[in-house]
Parts: sequence; structure tokens; C-alpha cells
Amino acid sequence: MSLEIVDVSVHYGGNKAVSNVSLQAPLGRITGLIGPNGAGKTTTFNACSGLLRPTTGTVRLNGHDITHRSPAARARMGLGRTFQRMELVNAMTARMNVALGAECPLVGVNAIRQVFSTGAQRRAVEEATTSALELCGISHLADRTVGTLSTGQRRLIELARTLAGGFRLLLLDEPSSGLAEEETEEFGEILKHLVTERGLGILIVEHDMALVMAVCQYLYVLDFGHLIFEGTPAEVQASELVRAAYLGSEAVEVAVQ
Amino acid sequence: MTNLLPFLVTGIVSGSLYGLAGVGLVLTYRTSGVFNFGHGALAAGSAYLFYSLHVTHHVPWPVAAGITLLVFGVAVAWALERLTRSLGDVPEAVVVVATVGLLLGIQGLLWLQYGTSLRPFPDFLPTSGFQISGVTVTYAQVISFLLATASAFGLYGFLRRHRLGVAMRGVVDNPTLLALSAESPRRVRLAAWSIGSVFAALSGILLAPTLGLDATLLTFLVVQAFGACAIGMFSSLPLTYLGGITVGLAASLATKYFSKPPFNGIPPAVPFLVLLVVLLAVPARRFPKRRASLRSLIPEVKPMPRRTAALLTGAGLLALAVVPTVVGTRLPVWIGGLQSMIVFGSLALLVWTSGQISLCHAAFVAVGVTTMSHMTHGLGLPWGVALVLSGLVAVPVGALVAIPAIRLSGLYLALATLGFGVLMQFMFFPTSFMFGKTLQVSAPRPRLAFIDATHDKQFYFLVLAIAVACMVVIVAIATSRLGRLLRAMSETPTMLATHGLGVNVTRLIVFCVSAFFAGIAGALAVSQYGTASTAPYGPVSSLLYIAVLAMCGTRLLRSSILAAALLSVVPGYLTSFDTSRQMFAFGVIAVAATIVIAKREVIAQMITTFNRSSRRARPWAPSPGIVAPRAATGTRVPAGMAR
Repeated sequence: MSLEIVDVSVHYGGNKAVSNVSLQAPLGRITGLIGPNGAGKTTTFNACSGLLRPTTGTVRLNGHDITHRSPAARARMGLGRTFQRMELVNAMTARMNVALGAECPLVGVNAIRQVFSTGAQRRAVEEATTSALELCGISHLADRTVGTLSTGQRRLIELARTLAGGFRLLLLDEPSSGLAEEETEEFGEILKHLVTERGLGILIVEHDMALVMAVCQYLYVLDFGHLIFEGTPAEVQASELVRAAYLGSEAVEVAVQ
Repeated sequence: MTNLLPFLVTGIVSGSLYGLAGVGLVLTYRTSGVFNFGHGALAAGSAYLFYSLHVTHHVPWPVAAGITLLVFGVAVAWALERLTRSLGDVPEAVVVVATVGLLLGIQGLLWLQYGTSLRPFPDFLPTSGFQISGVTVTYAQVISFLLATASAFGLYGFLRRHRLGVAMRGVVDNPTLLALSAESPRRVRLAAWSIGSVFAALSGILLAPTLGLDATLLTFLVVQAFGACAIGMFSSLPLTYLGGITVGLAASLATKYFSKPPFNGIPPAVPFLVLLVVLLAVPARRFPKRRASLRSLIPEVKPMPRRTAALLTGAGLLALAVVPTVVGTRLPVWIGGLQSMIVFGSLALLVWTSGQISLCHAAFVAVGVTTMSHMTHGLGLPWGVALVLSGLVAVPVGALVAIPAIRLSGLYLALATLGFGVLMQFMFFPTSFMFGKTLQVSAPRPRLAFIDATHDKQFYFLVLAIAVACMVVIVAIATSRLGRLLRAMSETPTMLATHGLGVNVTRLIVFCVSAFFAGIAGALAVSQYGTASTAPYGPVSSLLYIAVLAMCGTRLLRSSILAAALLSVVPGYLTSFDTSRQMFAFGVIAVAATIVIAKREVIAQMITTFNRSSRRARPWAPSPGIVAPRAATGTRVPAGMAR
């Protein structure tokens, strides 16, 4: 199973946000999508998760063409995502938020399931929620109201929510922004664990080069909506082109350390 | 052509006035982010003020007009700017409630001051005129048209050239940024409200001579401006003006072609047809969006301790059980209260739990009323069966309203549902499916083996049992999985969709459930009195429901009970609290309630400060360590910081 986009372009009116981008995010690998601000990363992401329709090109999940499927249909096929601007229900507790992640794919478009729940379903949701909270190390926050938590804690709740949903492929949109340094490191460890132990696939958009170089096995570099380079982190660091477009010598040095 | 011409002339003249009102509405909406449902009420208010000055106090008309425009351009505009600013970044549903409250408040005030009867309005402009191929065009019409057109396009030209125009476009997106470029956001908004109010006032004064002085008529006729705004996509001033002309022409021509039943309901509904068509046909992303509010509509709900809840429920039920022995001849009032509780329960589920606004709830109730009549008197079905069917027939109507809800949210959903309610009133109420030509239906009370419900006392207990059952189901839904999904949907539907939930199904379900219970309430209402007319089920009632619900807070059960008591029980005891007073009071309190919701943090902060200062005064009060965390959880994260 893998997520694959082929020749995807997204135009907003005359403005070409993304042009002919192709990339692959297979299971068992953390794939990074990097690029300076405005390079088209989030737009590419939204085309993957279905929040916008690409002008041209196809999105495939597991070999199926999902270009014209709704976000919900894609999610039910195993594609989960988090948001750069976190989408949490602030009035609910962390546990309830994470439980929503498990419930949404479970009930889908089934009207009866949306209204009635069986004991077995409740137990399954409960179990998925508890284990996702544990995995992200936020069990102690379970009964806190999300609106009162810090950005780092909220990021972890978003991650836990996608984990509770049992998605095989995760799209993480700038998960480390707003995190402290040690929080970022822990976050990276969790991601590595998910891929090695659970065999998930992760596509990550990220600005924190230290995190990207530490966790990603393969990188795609976007600039002005074009894919300018792809390769392993080492190759990306060595690339003069990427250096010129984006990283700048200082950032690379920091990342190498 | 000659017999078409008079319709074209009236259409264009009235259309230009709708356009003028529409331009004012769009301007204030785009500048403040608040779509003023009370815009038409402003026009009505100005017509009455002009009438008072000119007719009652014999002020010459140019002076009277000048004073009226000055009052609206300065005092009213100032008040509106103040009000909308204090709303801040509350969810859109709350903003809608605020301006609906404004509408009700102004209309109630006008009714109180001038009575509800139609008064003739003087033709203050010259009624002489000239002939165009046999059709008389009066100078009053020419002056009205020219004035409206010149104002609309004059404003457009002015805003294009003057710095204020740019500032107005900027202020809704980012007032702080505007402030940094040495332009006071307050001043810019005030200018917009000033122009908008003057335009509304002008259209009111100019429309009144042809319509006569009637608060409801004026309020809802300038609401024709809604159709104009829709054509202008809620953003373009010239298109809005042309939209006004289109609506005016279409309405005028409709009166020519659809003069006989069953189509005579179409002409008055034309602007709402236009509104509905635009809202349903144009992709929702083309409409200007208010910045999404980051605040939750529902306060953090701390579930009551089980024992307290059980105690309260028991006490409440006991109180309701002894009502018949205590209240004497007022019992019908209480039966009405129970029905209202079901209505408010179903509405609160929709508005507070799922965050979707409905301004056509009375139409759902009306479907229940008429179905009950058709099923019992028409088909001779047993009472209980007819009751359930009344709810079920309302379900597809609810599903119909869910269609706009799937595409639209916030303001545009409110407009679409209001349009739907108006359509129902004009086009479907008079048909034989509903109230019929007499606009009245009847239904019996049940004759069951164990209960003789012709006695009020026994009927009361029957309704009590049904109402309690309904509320139990509604609360069960709100606390079940669906309730969780709905609460999440009110904050972040995108998240639910990207996690695999079919949110459209969720929306459909909640509208159907809500309509079902509203239908049941309607069936009980017609059964209580034996007959029912269309009067209590028009769009104004829907607005009143929303206003009363809003002033009772955003909780499900508590707000429903309180709202039912306020709307149905209190007026039964205070006989002087008539419809006008109710509308005025509920409208004003609803506006106040929205400000309280908007200032929740500030108020919580004030309470905290107060506690702290009183603690300082009393050294024996509990130590700060114990009290402070509780106060902190009560305060929500300020929106600005979370951004």
C-alpha cells in the first residue's frame, strides 16, 4: 500500500500553486516534503487528503484512483491527516477528541451507526483511544479540556487522534511547529516507532530541518510549486540546488550536526 | 406591451429602492462582518419617525426627512457600530441572533408606539406626472428612482476613488493592520454604518407612500434587499443595486402573471425565491466568508453530579405533576408551555449542539399542525397514530432544509432557512396540503380507553408524558455518539470529514430529528385548542424562537425549559405582556444575551477579580491556592492568544 500522486497541478485562478508534482509515500517509510514558505507543500497535502481537487493529475491510494473521492472516503480507505492549524474540539477533553478519531472512520456514512452504538463498538473505541493516548505519552492529559492545553500537547492529541482511527498512512502537516526542542525529539521518536513497529507510512511536511533529517528516509523538495529535487536526506544535504533554493549554508551545517 | 408597462415602471422604481437598501446592507456587512437582519427594521423605523415628525407634528417634509436621516446617520449608526464591535469574534450563529434580536426589538417598539394597524402614509412628493404611451409616471416615482440610483452609484464611485473605500475593504479582514497604517478601524466602521443606516432610512421613507405605514410590511419588504444582496454575491455594490432592480421587476411582473390561487403566493415570495436560487446554485466558496471563529459555542460542560441531576429532575417532574392542582384556570397556558419545551428542545439540539442555525423552525411546527388535522379529521386515523405521523411527515421537510445546510453554514444557512420559512408561509400554507384556503385547520383531542382528554387536566398529563418522553430522547441523543459528533461538527467539520465521517449524513440526521420533534409539538398544539391558524407559524415566530432560546443560554435542557417558560407560561400570567411587548422585550434581551456570550471571558475575568479583591478584604476566606485553579478553568483561552 502506498500513496502516490502523479503529475498533480493545482491552480488558483491564474496562480499556479503546484505544477506537475509526482511523489510516493509507501508504508514503512517516513517521507518528507520540504520547501520554503509558499512552495506549495500544504496545497499538495490538501490535494492528497481531498480538501481540494487538483486541476490536473491523479492521486492514487493503494493503486486505486482516488482523485475524485471525498476526504471522508479517502479516510475510510486508510488515509489520515493532521493540520498545521490544529483542528481540535476545544470544549472537549483530550480523551473525547482522540475517541472521535476512532469513531469517525467506524461510523462513516452509516446513519444508523452515527446514532446508535453497540457495546462492542464502544469497547473498541475505548481501547483504541487508550492505546493511542499511551503511545503518544499523553495518558495523563486524558481528562483535561483541550482548550486549556499547550501547543505541544495539542499536537500530540492530534497525532493520537489519527492513530486511534487506525489509518495506515498518515499525512502530518508541520507537526513540530510550536513544539519545544525536547518535545520535538520525543515526537520524532514516536514517529519512528510508528513506522518500525506498526508498519505505518508517514508523509510529513516540516520546517524543522533537525527533525526532518533525523526521521525521514526519503525527501521531496518543492520550490515555487515545482519539485526540484528528491532523494535521501544525505543526498538532499549534498545538493547544491537545494542549498541554493532553500536551506542556506547555515541551516545545512546545523542539520549535519 | 402597454399593459405590461405599468408593471415595469413600478418594478423598476421599487426595485431601485430595494437596491438602495441592499447596497447599504452589503456595505455594512463587508465592513463589519455582521449581516444585519434588522436592516429592514431600520427602514421601518425611519418611515415611522418621518411620519411622526411630518404628520403628527406638522414639520415640513424636507426638514422631517433631514432630521430622520440625521438621526439614523449619527445616533443609530453609532449604536450599531458599538453593538457589532462588542460582539467581537463570536461564532456566526450568535451574530445572526444579535441582529434578529434587533429586528424583533425595533418592530416590537414600533408596534407598541403606533399600534399594529396599517396607517396611510402621506404622498409628500408630487403625485402629478407625465404619460408614456398611456401610462402615467409620477414625479414621485422619477424622484425616488433618481435619488436611489444616484446614491447607490455615487457611493460606489466615491469608494473607488477615496481612501475610505480601501480602508473599508481592509477593516473586515484585519482591523489591527488597518490601525497600524494610521487609520482608525472604528472610524471606518462608523462611516459604513452611517452610510448603511442612511440608505436604509431613505429607502424606508421613499417606499412608505406606496406601501402604507405597517411595521411588519416595511420590515419584510426591505428584506427584499436580501434577494438583491444575493445577486450581488454579498459583495459587489453595483451588482447588488442591479439585483434590487431585478427583484423589483420580477416581483412586479409576478403580480401580473400570478394573480390567481394557487399561484398568488408567488409574488410576495419572489425575493426569497431569488435568494434561495442564488444560495443553492452558486458555489459556496464564492460568498464572502467571515473569519472562522475560534471559539466554541458551547461552554465547557461539566456534567452535573449524578445525584444532583437526579434530584433536580425529580423535583422538576414533581412540580410539573402538581401544576394542575395549583394553577386552576391557567392550565392551558401550562399545556402550551410543555409544547414549547419540545419545540425549544428540538431547536436547541440543532442550534446549540450542532451549531447550525435554523430560521424556519415554526414551519416544521406548522407541518405537524396540518398533518395532525389531515390524519385525524381527514383520514380518521387514531389520535396516537396521527401524532407519530405528524412527526414523521415533518422529517422529509427537515431533510429538504438540510440540503442548504450541506452546502452552507453560518449566515448563508440562516438566510436560506429564513427564505425557506417565507416560501412555506406564502406558497404552501394556503394549499390544501397544509392550511388550505381558509388558513385554518382543526383536530380533535384523543379519546383513549383510559383517559378522557377532553378534560384539560387529563390532557395535561398526556402532554406531560409525551413532552417528557421527547426531552428524554433529545437529551439521550445529545449525550450519545451522535451528540458527540454534532458538538465536534459545530467546531470543526473539516476534521471530522478528514477522519472518515460522512458529515452530510450527520447534518441530515439532525435536521430530520429536529423537524420530527417540532412536528410532534405542532400536532399537540392543534389538538389542544381544536383549531389552529397560520398566524403563530410565520417567519417572525421562527425568529422569536431563536431570540428567546438565545437569551436562555446555550445549554440544551436548561435553556429549553427556561425558553418555554418565558415564551408560553409568563405571557399567560402577565396579560399586559402582549405580543408587541414580548417582541420588544425578547428582542432587546436577545441582543443583550449575545453580548453576554461575546463577553464571556471578560465577565469570567471580572468575577475572578471580584473574588480576589473580596478575598483580600476578608482574610478568613479560603486560601488562593484552592480557589484560583477553579477560576482559571472557568476562563477560556482568549481567542487572540490561541490564534
